[in-house]
Amino acid sequence: MGNLVGDNAVHVDLEPVTDIPNDNHFYLNMGPQHPSTHGVLRVLLEMDGEYVVEAQPVLGYGHRMQEKMAEHKNWMAFMPNTGRMDYAAALPYNHGYVALFERLCGIEVPARAEYIRVITSELNRIVSHHLWIGAMLLDMGAFTPILYTFDDREQVLDILEDVTGSRLTYCYFRVGGVCKDIDDKFIEKTRAFIKRQRERFTIYNDLITGNIIFIKRTEGVGIISPDMARRYGITGPVLRGSGIAYDVRKNEPYSVYPNFDFEIPVGQNGDSYDRYMVRLLEIEQSLRIIEQALDQLPEGPFLGKAPKKMKMPTGDCSFTVEAARGELTYYLVSGGGDIPYRLKIRVPSYSNLSVLPELCQSMLLSDLVAAMGSMDLVIPEIDR
Amino acid sequence: MHPATEKLVSALKELSIQVDNCNYEERGYHFEIDLEADKLRVLAECMLAQEMFLGFVGGLHVKPAIEIVYQFASFERACRFVVRVPVAADNSIPTISDIYQGANWHERETRDFYGVNFTDHPNLVPLLLAEEDVDLKPLLKKDEDLKESAELRWAAPVEEKPEAEKAEQG
Repeated sequence: MGNLVGDNAVHVDLEPVTDIPNDNHFYLNMGPQHPSTHGVLRVLLEMDGEYVVEAQPVLGYGHRMQEKMAEHKNWMAFMPNTGRMDYAAALPYNHGYVALFERLCGIEVPARAEYIRVITSELNRIVSHHLWIGAMLLDMGAFTPILYTFDDREQVLDILEDVTGSRLTYCYFRVGGVCKDIDDKFIEKTRAFIKRQRERFTIYNDLITGNIIFIKRTEGVGIISPDMARRYGITGPVLRGSGIAYDVRKNEPYSVYPNFDFEIPVGQNGDSYDRYMVRLLEIEQSLRIIEQALDQLPEGPFLGKAPKKMKMPTGDCSFTVEAARGELTYYLVSGGGDIPYRLKIRVPSYSNLSVLPELCQSMLLSDLVAAMGSMDLVIPEIDR
Repeated sequence: MHPATEKLVSALKELSIQVDNCNYEERGYHFEIDLEADKLRVLAECMLAQEMFLGFVGGLHVKPAIEIVYQFASFERACRFVVRVPVAADNSIPTISDIYQGANWHERETRDFYGVNFTDHPNLVPLLLAEEDVDLKPLLKKDEDLKESAELRWAAPVEEKPEAEKAEQG
């Protein structure tokens, strides 16, 4: 098989291992309690030595039937559930859900509330990327980066805790606004964080971006082509790593995102390294959005007038937002009243993970960890 | 309308598929299509050829037949389709997982929740539910909750209603 260590070509020029007779193959269960599946995900691997012949994800260990719950309670009572799917970035989930009802019932949101939503959502996106960078590097055996990213993550969590009251599964947005106004202390701390985070990028770059081991482990590993992305419905940073500049914030702008000047970072090769770069650059873009939003922050109420007992009109309605992992769509069918007839939740990681069997054929097991890590999976979001 | 969107709509019309415009501000998507199951696969092929991606596949339990809802969108422009397809009398519908591989899991999930049989699906085994719960079909409605498909269709909001409510509150 040639030189297997430290040679990038080995990933590409591999002989198809499926030619080897099947009696050499064996099955390997990766998970459900494997540290690098980040939750209870099982991947059933058919192996040939160290090479993966076929990878089949087995889902449902954390299935809570969220869509059934949505059909059985008042729509407002489902609100806390939205923060418990993607626990690493709950605020975009809050955002999509309240915006769905605002769209359906035609409720106006005060400008200040929209700005607060964008600021906190972007902070949450940064937190999510911090978590991912640390965990991804940990998967690949690098222990140090998580200490730095979690240090930064801690700063943001403190800021968000002051205003939302929680550190992880937020339930902060309300139909018509948010439940608590931000104050001068919040603005001051956020500005301090932006300054600090920009200085920290140097550390990230020294520690990770230019690290030869990291590059060798991720460059050319798990290449997703634009065609593949389209066939599987891949979105978010995983898609943008493949060079397609699709971001719901730009493509179908919602809230006050059109008021801000920001870019969509894209990769070129669609490999794990590009997905890392996209997320790293996205942190800077989120910082830019927050900075502009703080500068423009209008005065006024943070919660508009919404009827206490709200009846939904009949019909269907869809709302799509850019969550930290890609396109999140709530599709609601209402039969009137205040309980949804049907709520379909389209979560990004679900479609992103479904590419794994095609992506991982003939891959080294250690590369599978890198490829799967680069997808930024959150299992409770997939299982719902 | 974006030229590529126009091209897609006319390609669909050539397949004699009726495309209705929607108000994006109210509905969150641009076009809706009510389709018969026999045209589903040509629609999916047309969507893929015109570079649309599959957002999701979901079910909706209504009378007279369960409807499968497909959402397609574009990576390049704001263009979102909702396609509703009622299943056949034997609770089956053709799979599109060979056209859009991403539909594979969505269809398995819909099979879990509604018991719909996606014909020619390569691996229609439980995905989110446990194997022993294969007949659970948790999202099927009870008879008393079940509504007609026509009852759940979008009705443009009547202007008078909100004013009357305001007067009551005031």
